[in-house]
Amino acid sequence: MRKLISSITVFLLGGILLTTFFTMPEGAKELSDYYISSGVVDTGAINLITAILFDYRGFDTLGEATVIFAAACTLAFLVPKQKVHMLSARFSVIVQQSISFILPFLFVIGMYLIFYGHLSPGGGFTGGVVLASIVILTTITFGISYSDRQVRPRVKSLLESFGAIGFVIFGLFGIFAGGAFLANGQAGFDLGIPGELTSSGLIPYINFMTGLKVAAGLSIMFTSLIKEE
Amino acid sequence: MNSIYAVVGILICIGFYTILTKTNLIKMVIGINIIESAVILLLVALSYKPGGSAPILDKGYELVVDPIPQALALTAIVIGASTTAMMLALIIKIFSKHHTLDVREIRNLRG
Repeated sequence: MRKLISSITVFLLGGILLTTFFTMPEGAKELSDYYISSGVVDTGAINLITAILFDYRGFDTLGEATVIFAAACTLAFLVPKQKVHMLSARFSVIVQQSISFILPFLFVIGMYLIFYGHLSPGGGFTGGVVLASIVILTTITFGISYSDRQVRPRVKSLLESFGAIGFVIFGLFGIFAGGAFLANGQAGFDLGIPGELTSSGLIPYINFMTGLKVAAGLSIMFTSLIKEE
Repeated sequence: MNSIYAVVGILICIGFYTILTKTNLIKMVIGINIIESAVILLLVALSYKPGGSAPILDKGYELVVDPIPQALALTAIVIGASTTAMMLALIIKIFSKHHTLDVREIRNLRG
């Protein structure tokens, strides 16, 4: 009975969705045409997605970073703080050696993704996830106590707060320079030559702060989730 | 091109069916994640142009895809990861209190 009602509801929903998708009018493209034609001149970043995320819609990205911050805080509150038992499995030497071989390369990839976020695919969020995977791999392979000794929880929460406050401070630079909050090109910062590493004003610095914040936030989330009573 | 919309619709239906019929909390979270992936697929499909390349305006580009839905997809991924972590943390709390993941039993225990 329950499955019958659910099936009917889902079929109705699917019909509505498919009719909506197939009769959908072509959306207005003025905004994206504007971004494509003058995004590089406005922001100095040749990666348009980074330009949208950290310049045009920078305030939105600040809210997005706040969501990660709130999720990490709530997880640290909700789940117990006792020691972990579920990761007591011991891995063989091969796993431990190969993981410890991989970790420096993962760090390089994460930093590359963060610092070249305005030039190539990547950015603060992607690079932050790669950096967080270092902590996650260390925790899975060597256990939580070793991982906590290498990267202390206090350091993680400090990095996360540093990233959040740095983002806001770089946003305030725009106000001090005479523009709006998180303004970049409009406030008169030097945009440089598009395509070079030190171009596009404040975007690389905001990217770096976001990367730190995402890396610390995701590792806090993981280490909170695996703890149990 | 239109087949992608059909895939999105089918995925959203599968996710809703999972949420409505399954009684295990973790399976419900999986259903919510299926819907979320379908929405991201819809965003990527909306930004598609035939023959377009990635929106990185290096030298020698001709036609690039719409960058706005891709930026929104990034936002959706980040929010999705946060909400999934939140849901799993609440499930951990529920399990440690009721010692079951079955929705019906949890509802009965409440009285």
